[in-house]
Amino acid sequence: MASLRDLQASFAAALREDSAECAVTPRENLSIYRNNAAINFRTALGLSYPVLRRRVGDDYFRQLAVQYRERHPSRSGDLHWVGRDFAAFLAEHLQGTEYAWLADLARLEWSREQAAVAVTHTTVGAEVLSRFAPEQLEQLKFSLQPSLRLHASDFPIFTIWAANQVDNAPPVDQSLAGECGMVRARADGVEVRPLAPAVFSYLSALSAGAPLGEAVSVAGLDQHALVHALGFVFQEALVCGVAI
Amino acid sequence: MRALERARADYPLSLHGVGLGLGSAEGIDRDHLARVKRAISRFEPAQVSEHACWGQAGGEYFNDLLPLPYTDEAVELLARQVGEAQDALGTRLLIENVSAYVAFEHSHLHEWEFLASVAEISDCGLLLDVNNVYVSSKNLGIDAHRFIEGMPLDAIGEIHLAGHTRNGSVLIDDHGSAVCEDVWQLYRHAISRFGAVPTLIEWDTNLPALSTLVAESQRADRMLGELRGLAA
Repeated sequence: MASLRDLQASFAAALREDSAECAVTPRENLSIYRNNAAINFRTALGLSYPVLRRRVGDDYFRQLAVQYRERHPSRSGDLHWVGRDFAAFLAEHLQGTEYAWLADLARLEWSREQAAVAVTHTTVGAEVLSRFAPEQLEQLKFSLQPSLRLHASDFPIFTIWAANQVDNAPPVDQSLAGECGMVRARADGVEVRPLAPAVFSYLSALSAGAPLGEAVSVAGLDQHALVHALGFVFQEALVCGVAI
Repeated sequence: MRALERARADYPLSLHGVGLGLGSAEGIDRDHLARVKRAISRFEPAQVSEHACWGQAGGEYFNDLLPLPYTDEAVELLARQVGEAQDALGTRLLIENVSAYVAFEHSHLHEWEFLASVAEISDCGLLLDVNNVYVSSKNLGIDAHRFIEGMPLDAIGEIHLAGHTRNGSVLIDDHGSAVCEDVWQLYRHAISRFGAVPTLIEWDTNLPALSTLVAESQRADRMLGELRGLAA
């Protein structure tokens, strides 16, 4: 008699391929499970990428979902994760086409998904800096909120994302300059926000673990800009800890 | 999450899982189990439930409640993995019967015998989904009353009711419409046997006006009230 493992393997094979042998009755009802799996996958993917779906339309999104699922089937019992590889898939699938920007938009939307489920740590205020001597400031390392994600694109993805929060938004001019910005969880939801390139470079360096002095240097900030940038991370409640 | 925390402040929660695949021969999803454990720590639900089903083979997850063959081997595997999940989560689980559209030719136990054995071996409770009993009974020619009478008396910790749709000759469990009259009558039968068990109306697609949902809930309350009146 076939083992449970064999029976489940044959059932799974029949969900992938209609002609595969599977000892169930009525056999034609396997199509219900086959459809459920495809629809659940596509629906979850659409919920993770609402702006991308709006931009490409339901029909093309459905095609993309089928092709993506063939290459990247679900690897988790939690549907939340089905979209994990979608941006990488799109980058390869759309390489060299006029839709290459969709991959960057997908990265932004996936960050939004991740930020929504990231843990939130208690933040510290700027007064924490008073614990350090002025000459130590350059060596300070910041731990930032785990939900923070930083994005830079050759395309105006933050403008595209913001413009497509409603149905039937007009297309955004793709010849606009590239943009950079951040995604992070707040108490009232997930924030998607473009940043000035210098602030983006500074945040990226801090986020990668660089000490404050190095982050300031990488971003090319002068004294005035430094005060502003330092104030920014505390005002935005991005700092969870500061240490030498 | 914040909405759930607010609800949790005023009401006990029943945490209902669909993703562990407790009957998967290749094992349960450990990452998901860890996430469920975190959810339990955070929300401290009054009850935690999952399904008597499997969900993955060859590393691919189908994210659906796939039916098991009702065999001794499947009893042994599901009971062992329910036990592992209960140990990992630090709580007793309620295991629910699923809606089925096919049956394995290898099954040699009735579904209620299968569930009773799993509950006995793993010391889990059972969640009786009356709509699932009805859907499976119509699709696979099972006697729904016999199903309910075959479930162990002392194991039922929660009851679910829901709507379904008809696709040709097949009933599909879709949680998208009102509980049908036949299911209400089966529910009456179930609570006369198992007592005033906490009951949930599952309606999570094609959401109706809140008043419609509340009316369904009140009907279940009335039937439970009638039962208590009879018992008094």
